[in-house]
Amino acid sequence: MSDTSELPLGNRSTNGHLKSVPSLEADSQALRGGPSQSPGQQFPATAVSVKNASKSFTSGDAPTVDAMIDVSLDADLGEFVVIVGPSGCGKSTLLNAIAGLIDPDVGTVSLDGDASAERIGRVAYMHQLDLLLPWRNVISNAVLGLEIAGIPKQDAESKAADLAKRFGIADFLDAYPATLSGGMRQRVALLRAVLPERNVLLLDEPFKALDAITRAELQRWLSDVLDRTNRATIMVTHDVEEALMLGDRVLVMSPRPGRIVLELDVDLPRPRPRDVVRESRFVELKWQLLSALSGETVR
Amino acid sequence: MSVLPQTENHVSREGATVAPRRQTASIWNRLTEYVQNWGTAFVIALLGLVVWELSVRLFDVQEWLLPPVSQILSELIADPPLFISNGWVTLREILVGFMVSTSFGFVMATGMFWSRLLERSVYPFLIASQTVPVFTLAPLLVIWTGTGMTPKVVIVVLFTFFPITIGLMTGLRSVDTDMVAMFRTLGATKWQMFKKLHLPSALPYLFAGLKVAAVVSVIGAVIGEWIGASAGLGWLIKTSGSRYQTDKVFAAIFTLSVMASMMFVFISLAQARMLRHYHQSDSEGATN
Repeated sequence: MSDTSELPLGNRSTNGHLKSVPSLEADSQALRGGPSQSPGQQFPATAVSVKNASKSFTSGDAPTVDAMIDVSLDADLGEFVVIVGPSGCGKSTLLNAIAGLIDPDVGTVSLDGDASAERIGRVAYMHQLDLLLPWRNVISNAVLGLEIAGIPKQDAESKAADLAKRFGIADFLDAYPATLSGGMRQRVALLRAVLPERNVLLLDEPFKALDAITRAELQRWLSDVLDRTNRATIMVTHDVEEALMLGDRVLVMSPRPGRIVLELDVDLPRPRPRDVVRESRFVELKWQLLSALSGETVR
Repeated sequence: MSVLPQTENHVSREGATVAPRRQTASIWNRLTEYVQNWGTAFVIALLGLVVWELSVRLFDVQEWLLPPVSQILSELIADPPLFISNGWVTLREILVGFMVSTSFGFVMATGMFWSRLLERSVYPFLIASQTVPVFTLAPLLVIWTGTGMTPKVVIVVLFTFFPITIGLMTGLRSVDTDMVAMFRTLGATKWQMFKKLHLPSALPYLFAGLKVAAVVSVIGAVIGEWIGASAGLGWLIKTSGSRYQTDKVFAAIFTLSVMASMMFVFISLAQARMLRHYHQSDSEGATN
């Protein structure tokens, strides 16, 4: 991605705080199926930095609602950060602020260390709902972001078709969303989100609308596709196990108004198989998260 | 620097097999669906005609009051060119009016979508235009534009632009906010969003408007011909009525209603074709 002129963010080394991630390079090389362009790339470490952000909403005569208060969060490239919290705790507000859909009332959001720059269009964002356009087939839906970026249709489609294999949707490129299952639709939505190659990927409860079996399957699949890729991924969920299965770091948000009440490093080795849930460390971490969620203070 | 392939020089799409399509089956399905949907109405209409025929004969109703169905049919069969040529005149007025309305509706709805100022200044008058009984404008139109095709087209436009404009405008406005957010995060400009999101989302609403317009357009054309014309089905009805040729009146009405129905069906077919992916269909191809 470093050779795309549309995306100058990748190897900008502005803050002098660099991190080289050789394992990432090996992984992406395998994924490319071809020779890597520039081995040993270096990146600014912090892709997203939220500092003391607060946001409240007023609508008409209704009392002002504090969606989040004094939230700070850093996410490095290559890192998978999960935010857990009960429904309506301002998790989506936080993601919307990072994506640039809204601005916090107080505090700053920086991408690549720059707090003043426009964020909209620079962050990949996958919503709870798949939001596929029903009049477009899978491949046309997937290339939407590339199309908007002005990339020629043929290039965009060949790129999408390539990645679609890894996403397990290669057989459905000509199908229309109405004919696909919920799990398949989410895969297409994720493909659409990642194709424009942003440094930051936001996932807003991506599996919320799915049944338990599909959900578990997609969790494993997601850690396969995204794990150790070189972008900062921030996922919001209310599922503690999902957080521990996928995250490098888990932040717990309190009920509205949302604040960060716990930050937890998930020191479970990867890959994390399904039965990791039975390991004592997993159980311990899970208990810490659950306690924090129910308002008790651990550590 | 990411997982995404960039330096690909071979693009293989062998995995990209087409999801199964059951084209023939879907045509058959649609046929049976039509029979199910319209069969009942057809039978009821047929029964009504039979009752009409029988009661006219049974009670010996005068022919100039209410002719039997068979009489109307034989009138149609006796002189098809009369109905075809007059029907063609009316149809032309309708089609031209329809095209004008659609273009006007498109410009108006798009304009109002882009400019709140335009909406605020134009919308009240669009509503007001619909409160004026069009029939009362007809004499004025004849004075201003004569008795040719123009006044008929104008009246058809007055009848049809409203549902088309309002339908399209409503459609452009009722786009899902999550979809808009999704487009924004992809970096879409307002124009890209209009083209790729608002316009396609508005199509179902546009078609709803077009269907209403198709039905009322016939009324518009007939009113236009009523005021002053030398041809057309409305003219035929008026002249035949004043000569107590009731069978001809009915035959012309029948032709008109067939015309309106055909327009409705034509638009419905176009809608079914263009919006065929818009709705959740059977979940064939779902594996997950």
